Amino acid sequence: MSEPLLSLQDVSVGYGSKVVVSGVSFQVRAGEFCALLGLNGSGKTTLLKSVCGLLPLLSGSCLAGGVDCTQLTEYRRARHISYIPQRHSKLLGVSVLDAVMMGHYSKLGVLEYPTRENRQVAYEALEKMSMSHLAGEDFSRLSEGQKQMVILARTLVQSTPVTLMDEPDSALDFLNRRKMLGVVRGLIHSEGKAGLVTLHEPGLAIEYCDYLVLIHGGKVIADLRLATASPAEIEECLSQIYGKITALEHKGRYVVLSD
Amino acid sequence: MTDTYQNHQRKYFIFAGLLVIVAFAVSLRVGRFPLSVGEIVAIFSGGEVSDIARGVFLTLRLPRTIMAVLAGAGLGLAGSVFQLVFKNPLASPDIVGAASGANLGAAAAIILFGQSVVMMASFAFVGSMVVVFFVVALAQMTRNNSTVTYILAGIIMKAISEAIIMIMKFFADPESELAAIEFWAMGSLGAITASRLIGILPFFFAGFVGLILAHRHIAILGLEDDESRTLGVPVKRVRVIVLGLASLTVAAAVCLTGLIAFVGLIAPHVARLALKRISFAWCVLSALTGAFILLVADSFARSIATVEIPISILTTFIGVPILLYFMRNRRAGKI
Repeated sequence: MSEPLLSLQDVSVGYGSKVVVSGVSFQVRAGEFCALLGLNGSGKTTLLKSVCGLLPLLSGSCLAGGVDCTQLTEYRRARHISYIPQRHSKLLGVSVLDAVMMGHYSKLGVLEYPTRENRQVAYEALEKMSMSHLAGEDFSRLSEGQKQMVILARTLVQSTPVTLMDEPDSALDFLNRRKMLGVVRGLIHSEGKAGLVTLHEPGLAIEYCDYLVLIHGGKVIADLRLATASPAEIEECLSQIYGKITALEHKGRYVVLSD
Repeated sequence: MTDTYQNHQRKYFIFAGLLVIVAFAVSLRVGRFPLSVGEIVAIFSGGEVSDIARGVFLTLRLPRTIMAVLAGAGLGLAGSVFQLVFKNPLASPDIVGAASGANLGAAAAIILFGQSVVMMASFAFVGSMVVVFFVVALAQMTRNNSTVTYILAGIIMKAISEAIIMIMKFFADPESELAAIEFWAMGSLGAITASRLIGILPFFFAGFVGLILAHRHIAILGLEDDESRTLGVPVKRVRVIVLGLASLTVAAAVCLTGLIAFVGLIAPHVARLALKRISFAWCVLSALTGAFILLVADSFARSIATVEIPISILTTFIGVPILLYFMRNRRAGKI
């Protein structure tokens, strides 16, 4: 069994005195793609923001690669955890290559500037996403699917052991959604990273992720590793937040239907 | 695509560089005491030239022309930085009160000390930095460090500065003090001398070179705050430093020249229409554009009439056609 790269222990998070997430514990291993599932307002985004340092923890600990990230500055934390937000910045007039180059920020000193090698790394990340032909284009003029691929390339350049994604598929169509999740899963498996993604669609989570964590009312109510789970266990797990559902197996993959 | 773009970029840099050099050379010659190319060459080569020509050139014309380059470049660079940091194409160097503070300081100096250029410049510089300090302090006090907070704090401090200026104008002597306050707000490079230029150079270069060195940090401030933070940017600290450097550049430029309208707003737009990209190159081209506009404006200011025309009138009338040219050609697909 591979080591845990992301480890949350008894984490509580909130806004001011209002506690939104409490007592959350789970671990994501190297090479594992974990889906955080829950209904609107269940605390998924709040939890994700606290893990990447945008919100302070009220209590508990969050280790990324064995390092307590809550004690680090933004600059240091960005070497351990990368984050793909639900909605990315507009970046009007910024070239695609420059947008990807921003992933180098945390690896350069205050008065250090990107080198030719850094530029090559960014270009290669775009090549991995099949986007290198758009390197000189204006980022803001790309389609939403292309923008997500560019942000993913930037995350590759940032090259952290843990990657968090907050509904990265929300602006994508049917094909782009699958393409993006497939690319992310492939990278996490091939590079031995840990991925944590919030998704609304349980069918996509079963299709692309290895591990499900279900959150309801700010608490983890169930978790399930899919490699060893039977359809009945998947149904039982998901029905705790989605009501009665059916998981149908088709060509080794599952389709989730609500009854 | 990238190589083609770099060629496109290079073309504009060469063009802008040549324009600045030509405008600089013309600016050295024109004025109430015109100098010929021969006289200028003789001054540099140690040849024979009248003492008046040498004095005019070394103590007035050359410092004034250098100041036009520096102030234009500073306003152009600071303008592009403000537009990037505030993610707002209408952001100008006065968005955090740098120009309003300078205006307030200059007006106070005129009321307290009469029309001493040194006092006006010193007070304008201090006024500018004090107002920017209060804007930053107000934004920090709210604990909401977003760019919107800075814009609101800037509006508050600008309104307070303008209200105090109005009080001073109300009580000012209409013949001398009121006219001097109004004239300062219209801008002029007429008061530039070599010693005054040397006096502001350390402040100007601290701001200008600081912005150049910080370009990697400035570019990333164009992202939303949360996205910047997850890439490793200490957003609050970087924003305060960048705004401080940009304001220092503007304060050092306008404390001697008075307010210069439009350059800080229009130069970044011209550079953007030319390059079509927001990058460090854009900031540099914006600085070159600002320098060119101010050199041309100042050359006209001292040559088209018997009295010197306030610079802000000319920067507006020169800047607008340049912007219209780029807007029109961009729509037609020529650039």
